[in-house]
Amino acid sequence: MSVRVRLPALFADRIEGISTVEVRATTVADALRALTDRHAELTTLVWRGDGALNPLMVLFLNDRQLARPGLDETVHPGDQLEIIPAIEGG
Amino acid sequence: MRIVPNTAAGDPQTVFYHRCTIDLARGTIDIGDVPCRNLEEVLGGFGRSFQYLAARDVRDAFATENPMVVNTGLLTGSNVMTGLRTYFSAYSPLKVSNKGLPAAMWSAGSGKFGSKLKWAGLDELILENKADRPVIIVIRESDSGPQVELRPADHLLGKYCHEKILTLYAEFPNAHFAAIGPAGEHYEACYFAAIALSTENLLKTGDDKCRWAGRGGMGAVLGSKNVIGIVAEATDRLAKLTPETRALNKEIATGPGSRKFREKNRGGLGGTWANYEPLEQFHMVPQNNFRPTGDGTPALMFRDALEDDFVIKAESCYRCGINCHKNLYERKADGSKGAFRAKFDYEPLNLLSTNAGVHDPEEVWPLVALIDHLGMDSISCGTTINYVLDYNARHPDAPVFNGATFGDADKIRELIEQVGTGQLPELGQGSKRLSEQLGETDYAMHCKGLELPAYVPDTNPGYPWAIAGGHMSMATYMLVAMEGDTSLDYWVKAITERGLLVVRDDLLGLCKFAGLNAEAAARCLGDEIGLHVTREELLAAVKRAFIRALWLERKQGYERDDYTMPAQVFDRPNPAIKAEPFVTREFFAALSDRVWEVFDREIANLPPVEDEATS
Repeated sequence: MSVRVRLPALFADRIEGISTVEVRATTVADALRALTDRHAELTTLVWRGDGALNPLMVLFLNDRQLARPGLDETVHPGDQLEIIPAIEGG
Repeated sequence: MRIVPNTAAGDPQTVFYHRCTIDLARGTIDIGDVPCRNLEEVLGGFGRSFQYLAARDVRDAFATENPMVVNTGLLTGSNVMTGLRTYFSAYSPLKVSNKGLPAAMWSAGSGKFGSKLKWAGLDELILENKADRPVIIVIRESDSGPQVELRPADHLLGKYCHEKILTLYAEFPNAHFAAIGPAGEHYEACYFAAIALSTENLLKTGDDKCRWAGRGGMGAVLGSKNVIGIVAEATDRLAKLTPETRALNKEIATGPGSRKFREKNRGGLGGTWANYEPLEQFHMVPQNNFRPTGDGTPALMFRDALEDDFVIKAESCYRCGINCHKNLYERKADGSKGAFRAKFDYEPLNLLSTNAGVHDPEEVWPLVALIDHLGMDSISCGTTINYVLDYNARHPDAPVFNGATFGDADKIRELIEQVGTGQLPELGQGSKRLSEQLGETDYAMHCKGLELPAYVPDTNPGYPWAIAGGHMSMATYMLVAMEGDTSLDYWVKAITERGLLVVRDDLLGLCKFAGLNAEAAARCLGDEIGLHVTREELLAAVKRAFIRALWLERKQGYERDDYTMPAQVFDRPNPAIKAEPFVTREFFAALSDRVWEVFDREIANLPPVEDEATS
């Protein structure tokens, strides 16, 4: 089993509408790296040039918001990870 | 809408929408079915209304030749969560070319009016000419189709928007409502008048909890036609919820797309208000007329800073699990909820607090509430007032109006009261004309005559290509903070390929806060309506609608010089903003070349649209 990464429209619309990606990972960082390895178009949304998590992204693991940066958090098969932007208009 | 089940995107002519045309001068009312000419018309919203407007020659937004199109999207009134949108389209008094011609504009609002309009049997209402006295339009369902009549509206004049709606509610208890406020009644002196739409919560509580079709002065156009309100009375007609739509609604209410707008205790980030904190990291919260200082004062408006003094409650339009409305209530001594104060969404909050130099919430909420009461667009009104405050700060010896400058909450309140009741026509014409008259245009925060929303232009060279408001029709306003890429290639793509697609929901009838990706949006058209379109077909139709809007701007005299930024962005880079000051004149000129290379080609390739036929 793998970890499911759920993506908001900002991400999905850049990769042909794919809104969930299954990855094999043991930490949140692994999962996000696997995501951007598979979909390089998402790299600048997820990572800053120094390899840190984009400060405007917020992570939820199984519906629980992770304290920043949250990358070392362990993930397990069947977990659900979400990454969403902290700014949206209206 | 008459739509054959399993209609394909390639068969738009098999879809008919139900239109009512009212000649307000003659009092004639015609109702009939209109076949769609292309997929954009099937989808609805501005995809349809702009094709209607394109056939008109309009040189003055308040002339009788300017029709107002009130319509819905394909998913308005459906079971899809947030399918509540109503669109008001017309040539705008605010959005004007440098040649002085009005541009086509739409403004969208939620609430329950759009659903009732559809359930009463209409997909579209077209208002021609001008009534010779103030009227309301009453639309009611009947066994033989929608019944439409005009009635006198004298008893509503002078009332606030929500008071008008509550008065109408007493007469029509099974209806929902669109109404203008005092600002719309004084349209010639207040171009940024808005249209209020009723919510269930408003009708139940009596509080001013309208939703708004705010942008572009659509309330002024409605006022110019002497239409004070529209009543849509019908039985709620939701179809049986299918398993597919139930699953979709669960995704909307609990998935990543709407998290930003949900409450923290429901796994969300707290709504648009919560933009304050992340933007402040970059010193990008507008302060004192879009000039962030980095002094930390935006923190005074962080939501957490207000929780002790107010009760903040998340509420909704109708059957919406997102609950995006963040409503502020008095906190009583015992901690319980007291009287309603105002809604605190990011735009009105920022433009009437931090960006106006007012940092005491007890001074801010009455300003936000007053703009709503009077029926004005808080973005255009707020941004124009912010310009006045800036002008007066620069000219202490020769100020304009009442001399208000940053932080003068009492004087700002006076300006709002006066402009919303038609007493300050110079201010009420918006920041473009006002700044031109005062001879200081550099720091007037508008593009193409439409005031900027509460995102600094220093980081968004995409603003000029927005077709109906800087952030709701060009999704480039947060990209510098989000990705930090300032290369030309990135920005060309951001504007011409991605940013323009944000208008998709302005055809469909959905709220952008649902956060559906294009794949899910296309799928739900098939599941809920029976219209089978692929993601690619949907996006192509959205793009055509956007490009047609650019073509329509050109028809109204827009030239390349119209597509520019406030000069301050080029000439006075703000060192407080934590981002590279990349929007130079040279960068922008190169960007314009590249963007127009793409858009010119797409305008030239727009498929022709045949004249309308009715059946």
